[in-house]
Amino acid sequence: MAADTKKDPGLMDERSVENTVKQFIEYVRKQVEEQDPVFLISVVVALAAIIITCVFLKYFLTSKTVRSAVLLVGLCDSGKTLLFSRLVSGKFKRTQTSITDSSAPYKAKSDKGTTWTLIDLPGHDSLRAQYLEKFKSAARAIVFVVDSAIFQKEVRDVAEFLYVLLTDSVICRNTPTLLVACNKQDITMAKSAKLIQQQLEKEFVFLGKKGKDFEFSQLPMRVEFLECSALSNKAEEGEADIKSLEKSLAKL
Amino acid sequence: MLDFFTIFSKGGIVLWCFQGAGVKESFTGPVNALIRSVILQERSGSNSFTHERQSLKYKLDNEFELIFVVGFQNILTLTYVDKFIDDVQLRFRDRYKNELVQKGALMLLNNSFEFEDDFQRILREAEESSRTRSTTYMRAFQESEKSKKTVKSMIETKGGDKGKEQGGKKSKSSKKEPPAPEPAKVEKPSPPGQKTLQNGNQGLTQEEIIQKKREEFIRKHTAGPTEKPSGQRNKQTKVFPVFDCLCMPGFSFYANKHLVCLPPPPPPPPKKGGGGGGCGWVKGWVGSKSLSQEDMEPVLEKMKEHLIAKNVAAEIASQLCDSVAKKLEGKVMGTFTTVASTVKQALQDSLVQILQPKRRVDILRDVMEAQSQRRPFVITFCGVNGVGKSTNLAKISYWLIENGFTVLIAACDTFRAGAVEQLRTHQRRLNALHPPEKHGGQPVVQLYEKGYGKDAAGIAMEAIAYARNQAFDVVLVDTAGRMQDNAPLMTALAKLIAVNMPDLVLFVGEALVGNEAVDQLVKFNQALADHSMSEKPRLIDGIVLTKFDTIDDKVGAAISMTYITGQPIVFVGTGQTYNDLRSLNARAVVGALMKA
Repeated sequence: MAADTKKDPGLMDERSVENTVKQFIEYVRKQVEEQDPVFLISVVVALAAIIITCVFLKYFLTSKTVRSAVLLVGLCDSGKTLLFSRLVSGKFKRTQTSITDSSAPYKAKSDKGTTWTLIDLPGHDSLRAQYLEKFKSAARAIVFVVDSAIFQKEVRDVAEFLYVLLTDSVICRNTPTLLVACNKQDITMAKSAKLIQQQLEKEFVFLGKKGKDFEFSQLPMRVEFLECSALSNKAEEGEADIKSLEKSLAKL
Repeated sequence: MLDFFTIFSKGGIVLWCFQGAGVKESFTGPVNALIRSVILQERSGSNSFTHERQSLKYKLDNEFELIFVVGFQNILTLTYVDKFIDDVQLRFRDRYKNELVQKGALMLLNNSFEFEDDFQRILREAEESSRTRSTTYMRAFQESEKSKKTVKSMIETKGGDKGKEQGGKKSKSSKKEPPAPEPAKVEKPSPPGQKTLQNGNQGLTQEEIIQKKREEFIRKHTAGPTEKPSGQRNKQTKVFPVFDCLCMPGFSFYANKHLVCLPPPPPPPPKKGGGGGGCGWVKGWVGSKSLSQEDMEPVLEKMKEHLIAKNVAAEIASQLCDSVAKKLEGKVMGTFTTVASTVKQALQDSLVQILQPKRRVDILRDVMEAQSQRRPFVITFCGVNGVGKSTNLAKISYWLIENGFTVLIAACDTFRAGAVEQLRTHQRRLNALHPPEKHGGQPVVQLYEKGYGKDAAGIAMEAIAYARNQAFDVVLVDTAGRMQDNAPLMTALAKLIAVNMPDLVLFVGEALVGNEAVDQLVKFNQALADHSMSEKPRLIDGIVLTKFDTIDDKVGAAISMTYITGQPIVFVGTGQTYNDLRSLNARAVVGALMKA
């Protein structure tokens, strides 16, 4: 008898745990059988509803938002709205300073012919931030429009905006393609895309404050510099020179 | 007569434009200036704007997101312009309703809006109507109503209204007769006129008294809020419903007389949106209800008082609310949004927009730029007495030193006792925190002072020259505090700034100030503009908001200051140690402002 009681304490605990669990299950079964079936069904249904809702919520909240927008951003007066008009409809339209965004579907000139939503954001300093907040998570690509003719005077403002854009957390996470469109190439004083790239890289050294040389190829997203002119040489009637922009958009 | 007229969407695409004959300059510049100064700075309360020699008037159509702008020369005073814009807007909306309802940039790009004929027609009508209206002659005294009344009738006593009415009625009846009035009535305040115009009902016959009393009784019980139908006040349009329902036989005498003599009622204003009384509130919930001025007024009143309670200057709050009302008028609300929530959201967006800087604010980058050009970057601090100029100057120099620049402080406060010593103490402390040994042997902060009583502008000039010679990166110029009303001191400050041309003129204002902020900033800017010799005067470039830790959530001063000047708040001072220097977080400030 003494040998029996001097059993392994671990084993003893296990058995007692098993017993209690068994007892609990018996108790629950008895309770369940005693209850009214209608009440049981309602409880089961309620639980099922809660579980299904939880599953759906998780699915919808964590699913990636489909990114199909191409944003047109840039400083004020860089030619975004006219570029938008040219890309969407090919027409020339007189423009004024935008104070809200405009969006339209754009069919890329590629074999696949995917349709993007082209969104033109206002460039004015006081509106820039809030519109970028609104649309940055849906961006598949960002077209940063630069006024090549007066670039030399605005180089610090351009660099600061581009820097803010590139260091934004949402954009770092999604890494949309960045196309820097050096607009207004029809003006004779316009700087070339290569020069603008070099100038911006120099500015970024100051802004980054790391002291090292900076190159756009160091960034995680694809960056491309191209030249375009929304207003052709013949002002209103001629065709705009946006072929390189359209080609890049087709490669998305 | 008009220079140009343009219709464009809020997204920036011009739908239609008209350029007056002989006008060669493009209107893009003035219209952009209008958009940037007025609409984006939330000053759309008044609908006109002057740009160089042109006057621009505009109207926002918030339902279809369009803007209508007309421009004409400043020297012309065209009276028909306001009504003209309204007419054009209505006609444009009617004609292109189908296209505009689609609401998309694609629609705007693909459609061409041929509005020329309609526009010319409306313009012609407006010009003609203004021409015909302008040839009205002044009435002679005999033709006026005053000549028909006796002096006694105009005296108000207890029953005096009735006395006046009597006089009015008598004069109206005389109007029906040939226009030549009876001079007897005017010249002699004598018995014939007076008998009937005695106080109260003494002069009336018994019957007339009864009739008058009956009329009043009916008026009180049928027409509710309408006022006494006094004949003289012919602006009353509410008079007519009373007489319309007075169809009792005994009163036809009075009714006819008044209906004939008074001008026809104006047409009722067109009702915008909203259903009949019963289902109006349902429409408010379901959507497709457009906002009208009356809907927004109570909400805006409350918001205005809320802003004033949060220390926003009173006139700024009212201008802001007017601007938000203009922006929202006619807008169609979404489903399940109340008027209050729409207005609150719009106000919040406007406030954030006001606080966002309109240009890049990056002092360190600008200092580096000046460094590369081998000249010092000059910052001048100005403000009224006791706002914290010297304290914040010390904080800013600490920040600059931390970022590796050398600073020269120019003590241009030669008036206040102890000002120079205060700056010297700061210099010593800063040098102790950043000893010269660590920075290549040269002290990071130096003080340039010439004692008391000297000319501030001269000291500043010498300090800048010294900084250039010794290759200092930044010069911080401390000026004496001065009241905005003190003309000689304001002149002295303006001279200092005009002569030395600093890179940055910072106005230091405390966050505790309320309505005074408006006065201070306006007068400071005015003084700087008046006393500058050049075409482009140097005005205030930025604001330093101090003593921010003393206000809890009454942060309205930030809004007042940014709204008045249009310049950004560069620094915020939150205490008295060197580390208490922050930059403005627009969202946090607006959150604190809108919190109940």
